[in-house]
Amino acid sequence: MTSRERVLAALRHQAPDRIPVDFGSTAVTGIHVSCVDALRRHFGLEPHPVKVHEPYQMLGLVEADLQEALGLDVEGVFPRKTLFGFANEGWKEWRMPDGLPVLVPEKFNTTVAESGDILMYPEGDLTAPASARMPNDGYFFDTIVRQEPIDEEKLNPEDNLEEFGPISDEDLEHIRVSVEAASQTGRAVLANFGGTAFGDIALVPAPFLKKPKGIRDIAEWYMATRSRREYVHAIFSRQCEIAIANLERIFAAVGNRVDAVFLCGTDFGTQTSSFCSAATFRDLWFPYYKRVNDWIHGHTAWRTFKHSCGSVDRFIPSMIEAGFDILNPVQCSATNMGAEHLKNDYGERLVFWGGGVDTQQVLPFGTAAEVREQVLERCRVFSRGGGFVFNTIHNVQARTPVENILAMLNAVREFNGQAALAAGV
Amino acid sequence: MTDLYQAIVEGNAKAAVAATEAALARGENALALVQQQMVPAMDEVGRLFECEEFFVPELLLAGRAMKAALELIRPLLAAQGAEPAGRVAIGTVKGDLHDIGKNIVASMLEGGGFEVIDLGADVPPEKFVEAVRDRGAEIICLSALLTVTMPSMRRVIEALSAGGVRDKVKVLVGGAPVTRRFAEEIGADGYGENATAAVTLARKMVQAA
Repeated sequence: MTSRERVLAALRHQAPDRIPVDFGSTAVTGIHVSCVDALRRHFGLEPHPVKVHEPYQMLGLVEADLQEALGLDVEGVFPRKTLFGFANEGWKEWRMPDGLPVLVPEKFNTTVAESGDILMYPEGDLTAPASARMPNDGYFFDTIVRQEPIDEEKLNPEDNLEEFGPISDEDLEHIRVSVEAASQTGRAVLANFGGTAFGDIALVPAPFLKKPKGIRDIAEWYMATRSRREYVHAIFSRQCEIAIANLERIFAAVGNRVDAVFLCGTDFGTQTSSFCSAATFRDLWFPYYKRVNDWIHGHTAWRTFKHSCGSVDRFIPSMIEAGFDILNPVQCSATNMGAEHLKNDYGERLVFWGGGVDTQQVLPFGTAAEVREQVLERCRVFSRGGGFVFNTIHNVQARTPVENILAMLNAVREFNGQAALAAGV
Repeated sequence: MTDLYQAIVEGNAKAAVAATEAALARGENALALVQQQMVPAMDEVGRLFECEEFFVPELLLAGRAMKAALELIRPLLAAQGAEPAGRVAIGTVKGDLHDIGKNIVASMLEGGGFEVIDLGADVPPEKFVEAVRDRGAEIICLSALLTVTMPSMRRVIEALSAGGVRDKVKVLVGGAPVTRRFAEEIGADGYGENATAAVTLARKMVQAA
């Protein structure tokens, strides 16, 4: 089987020749730049600073040589612009707070605050208020909330819709070219088009906008889902119309060379509970998720990908009913998210993309033996009858020991009956 | 008219302010308002959260309503010389900017009658030591969302020991990646898996002290 055939078999709930593996195809299935750097060194790949292709979480680009070395089966397609509103182009060197040299886009312009924090600017515009910061000993950025005082009487949903609009010809051409290139790799193509995330809390503060309007404060947004529900409905409804119009144009440009599409990263789960009730999910999100999924399934062969951290057991039946095909990151450590339960109850209707190993405790802090044990167990449970693409539970975090990453990859290979990865140089 | 208890449970800040103003105008005692309406209301909010009728948005709304009322009541409490249930210093640890969880715990503690010294986000260990030494914090609450910042919790406990105040304070830890086992490993005195657990734990600790 080719990589693409392997992934497609898994997506059709058929047992592939071996479990397909993804690292790096989305902003939630990636690897921190420091770990990509460590892996490149381990395998003796051409030495050069790693490109940070997702500058918010500082994810490293998994280039073709590393994809080959790790035996990866999925190719990601990303929008032209990053979360900070600048394009991923014109690379220049930058140093992480711990001194690691990396490559960043030319408009990745930072300053150092009095506190020593590193400040990031929307569209790289140093004259705009900073939209994110990284602690002076940190590894990721976090958004700076820029909330204008809210006047309840004057709240206008259009203010929260500034970032959603008809796709530009330039962006469309970027997607067309990227999909074309990805489809030539022989790997399955997972596309991140953007515009279909409803109320993703990472996007609400709009770190890509110079002067965001509307509700941009994180706590205000959460409260709005309860106290200003009509306002949120109005945003989602218009966003949904715009998204479907854009998907029509994108499909016309790329067709079915895309195998799966990342739709939404809104987190509904917390470690032990959730951000809302199942009833609220049905009222506020379900109609829009269903519309987008219905359009996709009615017009394309794309599978749809939903990311939500935490305990989401209570939402899974509605997610399936809305038409989602794939769930990620499958946080088995959260309440009611045990692997056996998920596979037994939803495995015939939902593909688990993730769930391979815990990135909060086991992968960063466990022993290589503990990593191997958990990976083998998860592969055993999730791979029954297909419906499983191996990935960690969310991105591989900074400071994860490379030995543990290798132990994880080798455990998948052991399960697959493949030889262990080369020892490196 | 909505009373303060109801306004807080419903998360209605305007109604909470109106109810508080009306109660104070009627000459009701500030401390009684806290003890008989505000604390029971936040306890009820916690109960509804525990039984999953309330979620994060409702906790935030109730916390905001409670705070709006407390702003009016606090000066009167000070004038009465009323003592808080305990004094808690809270913050997210060095390197961690994620403060929603910490803010919810802070407001639940405040609504539970505690005086809360909110040290904010990305707080260096020495600030926690100062809160104990200079501001009389009896409990420290540490929050971390990131896997990479969990080790900062251990450094706070080490700093408290180095500063000679470890035996003067109880340390509670929480946040998504934090577990009871981790809390025990780093020598914390307690682990709260959510905001209501933190309040229950804090109450136990001040009662035991």
